[in-house]
Amino acid sequence: MSHLLALIVVLPLAGFLLNGLAGNRLGKAFVSTVGCGLPILAFAVAVKCLVDLQAAGGAPRIEVAYTWAAIGDSLFEIAFYFDALTAVMVLIVTGVGSLIHIYSIGYMKADSSYARYYAYLNLFLFFMLLLVLGRSMLVLFVGWEGVGLASYLLIGFWFEDPDKARAGKKAFITNRIGDAGFLLGMFLVYQALGTLDMDRINAAFMGTSPPAVSASLLGILLFIGASGKSAQIPLYVWLPDAMAGPTPVSALIHAATMVTGGVYLVARLSGVYMHAPEASAVIAAVGVFTALFAATIAVAQNDIKKVLAYSTISQLGFMFVALGVGAYGVAIFHVYTHAFFKACLFLGAGSVIHALGGEQDIRKMGGLARRIPVTFATFAVATAAIAGIPPLAGFFSKDEILWYAFASSHGGSPLLFAVAATTALLTAFYMFRLLWLTFFGRSRMTPEVEHHVHESPLSMTGVLVVLAVLSAIGGFLSIPHYLAPMLPLPEVAHELEYFETPLVVMSVVVAFAGLAAAAFVYGDAGARAEALRRRFPGLYRVLCGKYFVDEAYDALIARPLYWISDRVFLRIGDRQLFDGTLHGLAALGRRTAGGLSRVQNGSLHLYALFVLLGIIASLAWGWRHG
Amino acid sequence: MLIATSIALFALGLLGVIVRRNVLVMLMCMELMLNGVNLSLVTFAQQQATAAGAVLVLLVFVVAAAEIAIAIPIVLLLVRRKDGLDLDAYAELKG
Amino acid sequence: MIESVLLWLFAATALAAAALMLVLRHPMRVALALTATMISLAGIYALLGVHVIAVFQVLIYVGAVMVFMVYAIMLLDVRDRSFTRRYSRMLVPGVAAAVAFVAILAHALWRGLPEAKSAPGVMLFGLKEFSVTFLNEYWLHFELVSVLLVAAVVAALAVIEVGRKHRG
Repeated sequence: MSHLLALIVVLPLAGFLLNGLAGNRLGKAFVSTVGCGLPILAFAVAVKCLVDLQAAGGAPRIEVAYTWAAIGDSLFEIAFYFDALTAVMVLIVTGVGSLIHIYSIGYMKADSSYARYYAYLNLFLFFMLLLVLGRSMLVLFVGWEGVGLASYLLIGFWFEDPDKARAGKKAFITNRIGDAGFLLGMFLVYQALGTLDMDRINAAFMGTSPPAVSASLLGILLFIGASGKSAQIPLYVWLPDAMAGPTPVSALIHAATMVTGGVYLVARLSGVYMHAPEASAVIAAVGVFTALFAATIAVAQNDIKKVLAYSTISQLGFMFVALGVGAYGVAIFHVYTHAFFKACLFLGAGSVIHALGGEQDIRKMGGLARRIPVTFATFAVATAAIAGIPPLAGFFSKDEILWYAFASSHGGSPLLFAVAATTALLTAFYMFRLLWLTFFGRSRMTPEVEHHVHESPLSMTGVLVVLAVLSAIGGFLSIPHYLAPMLPLPEVAHELEYFETPLVVMSVVVAFAGLAAAAFVYGDAGARAEALRRRFPGLYRVLCGKYFVDEAYDALIARPLYWISDRVFLRIGDRQLFDGTLHGLAALGRRTAGGLSRVQNGSLHLYALFVLLGIIASLAWGWRHG
Repeated sequence: MLIATSIALFALGLLGVIVRRNVLVMLMCMELMLNGVNLSLVTFAQQQATAAGAVLVLLVFVVAAAEIAIAIPIVLLLVRRKDGLDLDAYAELKG
Repeated sequence: MIESVLLWLFAATALAAAALMLVLRHPMRVALALTATMISLAGIYALLGVHVIAVFQVLIYVGAVMVFMVYAIMLLDVRDRSFTRRYSRMLVPGVAAAVAFVAILAHALWRGLPEAKSAPGVMLFGLKEFSVTFLNEYWLHFELVSVLLVAAVVAALAVIEVGRKHRG
C-alpha cells in the first residue's frame, strides 16, 4: 500500500529492462504488450493514488524509497511527493504517454528496431515520472537529465543518418547549457536552506522569516535551466531539429511531456517565485517574446512537423507568460490542454506522413480531406482547439492566460496582453494555413504518392479520435480551481474586473480572424500567398530561414570555440607544450646517457687514469679537511 | 727520505700503468707499485718497532706472486687471440 | 754513518731504475730495470735491519716473479705496434695527475711524520722471533692467504682449460 508511488515509477523501468534486454528475441507481440501494457498499468495506479488523495482531502502523500547518501549531517533521500499538482502531471504523462505507446504499434510496425524503440520510450516514461514525482530537487534533476538522455536516444533513433544523429547531439548539448543554471540554482538553495526538498523550500519562502538568499537570483538561475528544457529563447534551437526523430516521439516528448518539465519546475517552486518579482518579470518577458518570435517563424515553414515544432515553442512561451504573472495553476491548465491537442496534431501529422509514404512538405500535399477522413477530422478539431475557438479546450486555457496577462496584479499589463493577443492571432493563422494546405484544395501530390494514400490502421486512428475528443471536452475540467488551494490564482485589481467579458469576446474574435485570414490567403490554391511572397521577399527569406539564429550561433560561438580548441589548446598546448616537454625530457635523457657512456671506451689506460684522479680527489678532500 | 722514495716509486708505477702501451710493461709497473708500498710498510714497521708491518709485507709478497702467476697466462691467451701486445686492441668492452 | 750513505745510494738506484722503466722501449730491458729496483729495495730492507723481509724480497720477487716475467717476455714476439709507439694517449693527463699526486703527498710528508722509535741499523726482526710472532699472533692472516693461494691454483687450472679449448 505504501509503495504505490514507487510502483508508478518502477513499472516503465521494468518495461525498459524487459524490452531492452529480451525484446529482440521475444518478438513484436511481446514488445508491444509489455511496452504498452506497463504504462497503462502505471496510469491505473496513478488514478488510484488520485482517488486516495481526494479521500485524504488533498493532503500530500510522501514516500521515502531509499536513502541515497548520508554525508555528515545532511541526508539525501530518494523520496516521492504526491499532491494535486503532481496528480495532474502524472496523469498527463502516463495517460497521454500510454495513448502514444498504442499509436506507435501501428506507426513503427515496419521498423527493424522495434524493441529498442519501446525500450527507449519506456525509459523516457521512467525518467519523466521521476521528474514529476520527486520530492527533492536532486531526484527531479536525475529525472531531468534522464529525459534529456532519452530524448537524445530517441531523436537520434535512426542514427545511421548523420544529420539525425547530429540533431540528437544538439538537443542534449543545448539542454546541458541550461542545466548549468539549474545546478547553480540548486547549489544556492542548498547553501542557503540546507535542504533540497521542494516542499520545504516553498515553506521556507512562504513562511514568516524569508531566507537570506535572493529569491530572484534563485528564480532566474532555475529559469535558465527551464528555458533549456522548455525551449525558450535563447536555448530553443534544438526543438525544430528534434523533428528528425519518429513522429510519436515528437508527440510525446516534444509536445506533451518533456518540454513541459520547465513549466512544472517553476510551478512547483511557486513559493520562491511569488517572492521574486524581478525573476517573474523576466520569465513573462522571455515567454511572450519567444511566443511571438516562434509564431512568426511558423508562418513561413513548409515542413508539417516544423510548423508544429515552432507552434510548440510558441505555446510554451504562453505557459511561461502565465507563470510570469503568478498564474501558476493556469499555466498547468495550459500544459494539460496543450498535451491533448498538440499530441493529437503531431500524431495526425504522423498519420498524414504515413499515408503519403514519407512526404513531409506541405507544398506537395493538398486535397486529402476526403481521402483520409478520420485523420482530417481529428486534425481539424485539434487545430480549432489550438486556435482558441470555443468551446474547445484550448479556448479556456488560452483565454485564462490572456486574462491574467492583462489583469494580474503580479505583473500583468496591457502591453503583455497586446503581444500575447497578436501571437494568438498568428497562431490561429498559421495553424489554419497548415490545415488548408495539407487537406484542402487541389492535390499537389506526385502521382506515385497519390496512389499510395490510405487511411491509417485502427491503432493509430483510434488514438487520434480519443485525443480529439479530449481536446474538445477537456477544457471543462477547471484545473486552475482544482489547484487553487496549492497554487493560488493571482489578485486582480478591482477596476480591471470589468474588462473580463470584453477580453473573452476579443480572444474569440482573434481566433476567428486568424481562421478567416488563412482562408483568404491560402484558399484559392495559393495565388494570393504567392503574391504576398513576391511583395515581401526579404521578410519571407528571414522568416523562412528562422531569423538565421542557428547560423549566428555557429558563427559567434561554435566556430570561435573550435578555433581556440584547435589553435591554442591542440597545437600549442597539447602538441608543443605537453608532447614537447615529454619528448624533450626523453631526448635529454638519451643525450646525457650517450655522453656519459663515452667514458667506457674499453681502454685500460683511461680507467687507470680515473683511478689516479680519484685518489687525488680523495686526498685533496682529506687535505682540506685537516 | 725513505717515505718520499716510496711515494715516488708508487707514483711512477701508477704513471707507468697509465702511459705505457705494452701489456707486459703495464704488469711490471704494477709490481713496481707494490714494491713502493712494501718499502713504506717496512720503513714504518722498523721505525715503530712493530711486527705488523713486516707481516703485511709478507702477505703482499704472497699476493703478488699469486697475481703474477695468473696474470701472465691470461696475457698469453689474450695475445694469442689478438695477435699483439698493444692494449688498444683489447678495447672490446667499450660501451 | 755508512748506513745512511748506503741507504741514500740504494734509494737513488731504486728511483733511477724505476724512472728508466718508464722510458725504455724493449720489455726485456724494462724487466731488467725492475729487477734492479727490487734488489736495491732488498738492500734497503737489509740495512734497516729487517733481514727476514730482505731475504724474502730477493727470493720471491726477484727469484720467482721476475723470472717468470722474463720467461713470458722471451716467449712472445714483442716487436709489435706497442714497440714503436711506447706511450698511450693519456700521456699528458697522466703526467699532470701524477705530479699533482706527488705534490699532495709531499705536502703531507712535509708536515711531519710520527716519532721514530729506533734508528736504522738495529736488527729488529730476526728469523726466529719474526716467525714466532707471525704464526702466534697473525696465524689467521696466514690461513686466509693460503685460501687465496688455493684460489690461485684453481684459477691456473681454469686458464689451462681455456687455453686448451682455444687450441681446439
